[in-house]
Amino acid sequence: MTESGAWWTLLAAPAMLFCLAALAVAANSVLDARDAGRSAGPAAAMRPFLALPRALLTQPRRLPAPDVLLWRAGIAIVPVAAVLSTLVIPFGNVAVADLSVGVLWFNAMEVLTWAGLWLAGWGPNAAFSLVGGYRFLALGLAYELPLMFALISAATGAQSLRVGDIAAAQQGLWYAVWMPVAFVVYLAGVLAFGFLGPFAYPTGRDLAGGVLSDASGVEWLLLQAGRWLWLAAGAAMAVPLFLGGGAGPLLPAWAWSLIKTLAVLAVLVVAVRRLPLVRADRYVELAWVVLIPLTIAQTLVPALVDLAR
Amino acid sequence: MDVTSTVLLVFLGVPALVFGVLVFTLNSMARVTFALLASLVCVGGVVTVLGLPYLGMVIVLMMVMEMVIMAVFMIAYMMNPAGLMPMSMLHNKRGALVISSVVFAALVAGIFVVPWPGHAGALPRDTTFQAGMALMGPQMLTMVTLGFVLLATMVGATVLATRRGRYDRFGDDLDQRPARDPAGGGVGR
Amino acid sequence: MSLRAAAARPRVLLTVLPGGTAARLAAERQLRLRDWPLAASPAQADLLLVAGPDCPGLRAPLERLWQDLPTPAARVSAPGADAVQAALDSGRAQLGSREGQLDRIRASAGAHRHGGRPAKGEEGPGGVHDGHGPHGHGGMEMPGGLSMAGVGEDRDGLTLDQLHLPLGPFLADWPSGLTVHLVLQGDVIQQANLADPIAPGGEGAAPFWAQPWIQADAGEPVTAGEAARRRSAAHLDSLSRLLSVAGWPAQTVVARRLRDDLLAGAPGPAMAPRLERFTRRVGRSRTLAWATRGIGELSTQGGKQAGVSGPAARAGGDVTDRYRQWLADIRRDLGRLDQPARLQAAEAEESPRGRWRAQHPPSAALVTVLPALLTGAELAAARLIVASLDPDMDELLPTRREVRAPHD
Repeated sequence: MTESGAWWTLLAAPAMLFCLAALAVAANSVLDARDAGRSAGPAAAMRPFLALPRALLTQPRRLPAPDVLLWRAGIAIVPVAAVLSTLVIPFGNVAVADLSVGVLWFNAMEVLTWAGLWLAGWGPNAAFSLVGGYRFLALGLAYELPLMFALISAATGAQSLRVGDIAAAQQGLWYAVWMPVAFVVYLAGVLAFGFLGPFAYPTGRDLAGGVLSDASGVEWLLLQAGRWLWLAAGAAMAVPLFLGGGAGPLLPAWAWSLIKTLAVLAVLVVAVRRLPLVRADRYVELAWVVLIPLTIAQTLVPALVDLAR
Repeated sequence: MDVTSTVLLVFLGVPALVFGVLVFTLNSMARVTFALLASLVCVGGVVTVLGLPYLGMVIVLMMVMEMVIMAVFMIAYMMNPAGLMPMSMLHNKRGALVISSVVFAALVAGIFVVPWPGHAGALPRDTTFQAGMALMGPQMLTMVTLGFVLLATMVGATVLATRRGRYDRFGDDLDQRPARDPAGGGVGR
Repeated sequence: MSLRAAAARPRVLLTVLPGGTAARLAAERQLRLRDWPLAASPAQADLLLVAGPDCPGLRAPLERLWQDLPTPAARVSAPGADAVQAALDSGRAQLGSREGQLDRIRASAGAHRHGGRPAKGEEGPGGVHDGHGPHGHGGMEMPGGLSMAGVGEDRDGLTLDQLHLPLGPFLADWPSGLTVHLVLQGDVIQQANLADPIAPGGEGAAPFWAQPWIQADAGEPVTAGEAARRRSAAHLDSLSRLLSVAGWPAQTVVARRLRDDLLAGAPGPAMAPRLERFTRRVGRSRTLAWATRGIGELSTQGGKQAGVSGPAARAGGDVTDRYRQWLADIRRDLGRLDQPARLQAAEAEESPRGRWRAQHPPSAALVTVLPALLTGAELAAARLIVASLDPDMDELLPTRREVRAPHD
């Protein structure tokens, strides 16, 4: 059903990801303006992008004894991994490369963020930045296993790691409907690997910005872009995994993919604003004591259904 | 093997070796850890190109998590603070040289000595399934046992390493709720 | 041209000097309306806005903060609330001006030749490197000239490195004028020592939040409505900082907006439903309560013994209890925002942080309980604890105590 796209999809997929991320940023900015009592018009939506010329112009600054190589590598990894993750996400019925291990590819790219953020915290040789990097690892140890089991639930349901197969296997009934725990845990995971909203712990304001505290200019821009790109990539991936991909009545497949992606993105942006931050020391215990058993039980459901078939 | 695969193998294999050498020549704990990670990520790519994408991707996935956690511990437990000081990564040079030469020689000999099976039949569309059947079919008992042994080892090691036990947490009669912890968890046990 | 584009929406590092509360409030309001984001660290900022009267004791750390801003950058100061508008406008003009930025680049190039900038991982005076415990590595070359960390026992009985990290005096969402010197192992606080509050250079103005009570003490006519309004606004201000530190930016902005409207004299009936909605949303958030529960326990008894008299003592519990007490106090004052009756003796009506006594301002007690609460806490918890007590350091300024006649 899902096919690998022509060469130009290699450019189109990142471009679409950037557009989706920009849309999320703009929506968040409009809601910000409304809360702050400013006029919430199209001008408010464009305000965050004024940071672009500023970031490109800002002179880099260095603290004593930084590890510049690792710092830069870490900062670059975050947005690059987000872009690479889109290779396997089908839009309508076309993915850039519908790998036979697509789910694993997405997961591996997402895990690269661990290395990226830790390095971004380690690089500048500053206390708050380092604590921020460590915080992401603490958060990672909490969110990653439930997220993996959520992905495994979907893959088990379709008996395939190919994202296209998973989307096709949901003819009639979305996985979001009969695997609600996996779906919710997956959405929480998206917020976590985007380190946004309730999972913005590594960039906490109590640490003067954490991993962002010593990033200025382009470094700051890349990390900020990385988190919103991840949010958009996570939203796009939720569609084939849990919402039936491009399937739907009347409209063509690409339109359904777009509509569903935007809906998930909207839900995520609202969650980012509605929920206060969850500290890792609290979330780790919840994840290991409650979420992991829950998601394992959730994985058992499609496994049993497959056996009965 | 077609041209693309060969080119990819070179482009992944050479960096894998270079990063592997860097592991022993760099002088910072963090850089060494991430050189090792880069080397292993390249190895994951090599395995993928060789037709086992599942194992290749799992190598990348697990090694990133493992190396990042390892970096934390290596840096935390280095005797010079935080592994910040430049340091040599070589210890017991003579012994290590002997062992590594012997292992290398044995592995190279293996390449030529082992009677590798010939190519039989067409490549399956999805090697993941084959790999799964090979591991989990006849070897199910081994894998299940291995899994439990690994888990038991991890839990056991953690329990042995922790100074505080349940009597410290729940009191002498194990009836104190919530537990007395230096930092409370999220479920409030 | 491109400089002007970059200056279209400057990120502002708002630095508050002792006695600068009024200027800070005006600045936060202006920045909110202009949509200039508040930066959390010098690296992210282009505009350093110094709010409050000049303070000789803080000139050196301010200078280092300024050096830490990446170019292009501008520095402006607003000694009082009325100077904020002009300061912000001039800051933006400086950011967009080529000559101003060239000057800064030349100056910083000069500084680099003379040994470079100090190490800084935070906005406090003294970077990561100063006071790294015992220095036992004479002769060995340290990376970046930084000295080695000392070691000490941690709470699990392991010997770990100690990091000496000052929090304050310039930290985002931090009580201005407060400095706590921490000894950290990992992110667990082994020791917390308070630094002496730094007095402003000139005659200190009356502490902003306790003003109605001071005026009532001095026999000036102050209405109960005015006092209730000031108290609610003070609680909203404290809440906005707590919410910011706890990580709920959307509600932080709502709290600041409500605070600004209260201080601007918006009529009570219009404010009541909005305050109601805010207190309901924050008070009922289970996630926030979950994230702050069990941190910084201060019993009513223990608080009273230390002389704490305000909401912190009445709440008698952890951070969650304390912010819920603020919310309850705001709700209680809802109907009294426009009360024309005269404020009774200060004893009857509590000032925002407790019973106002010029000799023993309520914030002094809040500060004294801090070290005990901070020791053993984790860094994230420490920020929550300080924010949940939110001492107003302006109340402690010595000039104030001399000016006011003793009352009790």
